[in-house]
Amino acid sequence: MALAIVSALLLVVDLNSRLLSPLRSVLATIVSPIYVIAESPYRVGQSASATLSTRESLINENEELRKRNFELAQITQQFVALREENARLRQLLGSRQRLDAKVLVAELIGVVPSPTTFQVEIDKGADAGVFVGQAVIDADGLFGQVVEVAQFSSRVMLLVDAAHAVPVQVSRNDFRSIAAGTGRMDRLELEYVPVTADIRVGDTLVSSGLGGHFPRGYPVGEVTSVVVDPTMTYAQVTAKPIAALDRSRHVLLVFDANAQVKNEAPAVPSDGAEAAHEDPR
Amino acid sequence: MNPTRGGWVIMLTIAFAMLLAVVHLPSEVPSWWGWLRPSWLVLVVFYWVMALPHRLGMISAWVTGLLVDVLYADPLGVNGFCLAALTYVTWSFYERFRMYSVAQQGAVVFLLVLGTEFIRMCAQHFGRDGALSWWILIPAVTSTIAWPFVAWALRRVRLQLAVE
Repeated sequence: MALAIVSALLLVVDLNSRLLSPLRSVLATIVSPIYVIAESPYRVGQSASATLSTRESLINENEELRKRNFELAQITQQFVALREENARLRQLLGSRQRLDAKVLVAELIGVVPSPTTFQVEIDKGADAGVFVGQAVIDADGLFGQVVEVAQFSSRVMLLVDAAHAVPVQVSRNDFRSIAAGTGRMDRLELEYVPVTADIRVGDTLVSSGLGGHFPRGYPVGEVTSVVVDPTMTYAQVTAKPIAALDRSRHVLLVFDANAQVKNEAPAVPSDGAEAAHEDPR
Repeated sequence: MNPTRGGWVIMLTIAFAMLLAVVHLPSEVPSWWGWLRPSWLVLVVFYWVMALPHRLGMISAWVTGLLVDVLYADPLGVNGFCLAALTYVTWSFYERFRMYSVAQQGAVVFLLVLGTEFIRMCAQHFGRDGALSWWILIPAVTSTIAWPFVAWALRRVRLQLAVE
């Protein structure tokens, strides 16, 4: 009976506040080895395939990567010039220059097994400076955010989790909205899109940086369907996440996101209210 | 749990059940396969409480549940409550459950797993707007199917290693 009351108390406190996160992180430090062991078959499989791959395939892969590197180097050259130009223009406009975000590479060490929650465990924790609310990206786009930090590992909620939402804008015309997770791996939903909004299938959604959690400008999703029903208040817009949520084994933790966002122009009040929605709890 | 007289065996089997609970399928398989996973922890805790009711108390079941909460990313306290309640029910009726045939025990397992899954689902529903669904019947069914094997394996472990 006493245990039931204690459980209920814990439940209420944990659902409504962050007071218990120190306790959670202690417990997470205890159980994280279980994730490491559970993931080991996949790691062994990976390293085995790396060891056993043939000389020819390695040469091919090397060739491929060299080519890719060359292309990326060329893009970087342009990028440097553009960045300088952008900084000059921003100076002319009188707004402050954006800072570069630092990133930390982390490896996936586990996937939370429940079919209704989309969270993964990564191998960097409080000892590497990871903090709750930190944005996580992969090679293609926005991946999710850190929701729990243990000593040597942390938990990342994917952006398709039903409890997750991220402020986005359409890259074509800066139309702002919120991309909410649906609990399905391949689907995001845009909330509160007026039926008159200019949004089309194929539009790219990037993080808008409003709300202060996520850095600005990372690709989030691609619009897959727009249903405008005149009898409804809002259009139903769905998007597909760009990040390889179920395949990425390496992700990047973004630091300095706040420094970036604080330099942005102040948000319109209504967006501030919407951005508060972004907190996963 | 007293670590002498094979208490470590009980802890180890519980840790192994946690391990089975988080081993994930390759990303190629559809995500609903995740529902097919039996509730290994419920099965293991049920077995130990029934076989050795004096060894596994409500407090230790509750603490195990707290670890499981973090493992599953559930709100803190849900699994603690579930496992403690499971221990209480089993402890109240363990003499009767021991007399049951495997099929009857399977029916009990079905109800217990359904109950714990239901509580978890409710907590997720009210806490984080997860959906209520009939899917929770599936782990209850697969747990029932897994029960004879788990019971047999744990019985072997208990007799071989003289846990008492």
